[in-house]
Amino acid sequence: MVARLLDLITSGRNRFWRLLSVATVMLVLAACGAREVVVQGNFPKPLMDPLPLTLGVIYTDEFAQHEIFDEAAGRAESDWLVKTGDAQVEFWNTLFSGMFEDVVLIRDHDTLRAHEGTIDAIIIPAVADLQYTIPLHTNIKIYEIWMKYRFKMAAFEDIHGGDNGELTINPEQYFADWTLTAYGKTPTAFLQSDEEAVNLAAVVALRDAGANFATSFARIPDIAAWMSEGLQPPPSEAAESQEATDG
Amino acid sequence: MGRTWQRWLTAGLVVAASILQGCVNATVDEMTFLEPTEGIGDASVVIIGRRHAPDYETEFDFIECIGDHIRRGDNSISVLHELEFINMMYPWFEPRTAPLRTDDIDKLLAQQRVADRFEELKLEYMIWIDGSTVETNSSGSMTCGVGPGGAGCFGFGTWGNASNYEATIWDFTDEIEVGRISANTSGQSYMPAVVVPIPIIAPVQGTACDSLGDQLLKYLSAKM
Repeated sequence: MVARLLDLITSGRNRFWRLLSVATVMLVLAACGAREVVVQGNFPKPLMDPLPLTLGVIYTDEFAQHEIFDEAAGRAESDWLVKTGDAQVEFWNTLFSGMFEDVVLIRDHDTLRAHEGTIDAIIIPAVADLQYTIPLHTNIKIYEIWMKYRFKMAAFEDIHGGDNGELTINPEQYFADWTLTAYGKTPTAFLQSDEEAVNLAAVVALRDAGANFATSFARIPDIAAWMSEGLQPPPSEAAESQEATDG
Repeated sequence: MGRTWQRWLTAGLVVAASILQGCVNATVDEMTFLEPTEGIGDASVVIIGRRHAPDYETEFDFIECIGDHIRRGDNSISVLHELEFINMMYPWFEPRTAPLRTDDIDKLLAQQRVADRFEELKLEYMIWIDGSTVETNSSGSMTCGVGPGGAGCFGFGTWGNASNYEATIWDFTDEIEVGRISANTSGQSYMPAVVVPIPIIAPVQGTACDSLGDQLLKYLSAKM
């Protein structure tokens, strides 16, 4: 069939048939290709009294370029590529800047050193898991996205710079380490493509993650303890074991 | 002669399709008190859909339809746009955080910026709409074809829709619930096709919107 269509394109007698053939070939090829969603949305700044903290934020490459690739399970399905990285960075930048008095984006060791003495703590967000469903998978007329985040917080002094400018931290030196889940759904709608619906569900999930983070941040036990102790992180396990060895 | 007849038939079918509507049954229940007999003045109202249930969510366009219905009925009533309001109040009206009871209003107002924003908006009434429209049944079949001489369909399809919505009115100043209005509608749509399909659509959601909109307008407007 494809050969016949290609033949029509090259030897078509008039413009109409040529265009129709091209459109048909494109339609056939589109059905075979991967479905790609680059998540995009407008994210509002949170309406809340900012916490009196200067927060450093490190977005790892894995986080800033986060994407999920789901291979088709059968011939009737398509591969799916959902890229959330840009939207994640845009969303969390907006949220953090509304939640905290000051936010500093830490890109490398130089940026870190430039803010020595001004940063209260450093947060490192990560997407631990992301799952999605479309009506084809579930037979329910709803598109869903579920995300699990892992947040880690460390004191400024515990972040170190490598020779190549990369930032490193001993995993035992985080004073807070917690997970947070988010969920977004959107129903099927007339003239709405699968890609648009997945994008919408992802935006709802991001907003939900922000709502969850904003309302639970100060209640995370380690964070609550840190804030009540005048922003002094508890001694890390590594430091404690070092002290024990010295003693 | 044949062509003229065909033109008249097509025109007739188009007119019939635009006029014919399926039948809709509607039931409206209302229980309201403390009506603002003088109207709401320069205060504003917001209508928001409930979206925390796992298996359905109140449609954004349904909320917009009710807002438009109220604005058309009394243009002195300031109805805030739902999405703009939710964005303005982020993250306090997301499915996870939206207040479920009037007791939760105090917790919201404890946030100084939230309280200031409410004052700025002069918000007097918050109306929560909970419900959705679903397809209840469908049957029939239709075949369409395209050939060198033209295109056409043949067959018959029918489907039913049901809408169940409940509006809960909160008086935001007194922090109390002042009314509940529910609208349940159902109807059957038909689509016979002899060459041209003729949709006979039952405006189930539209009737629910008009029913709820009328009752809310009656409650809020000093003109009614």
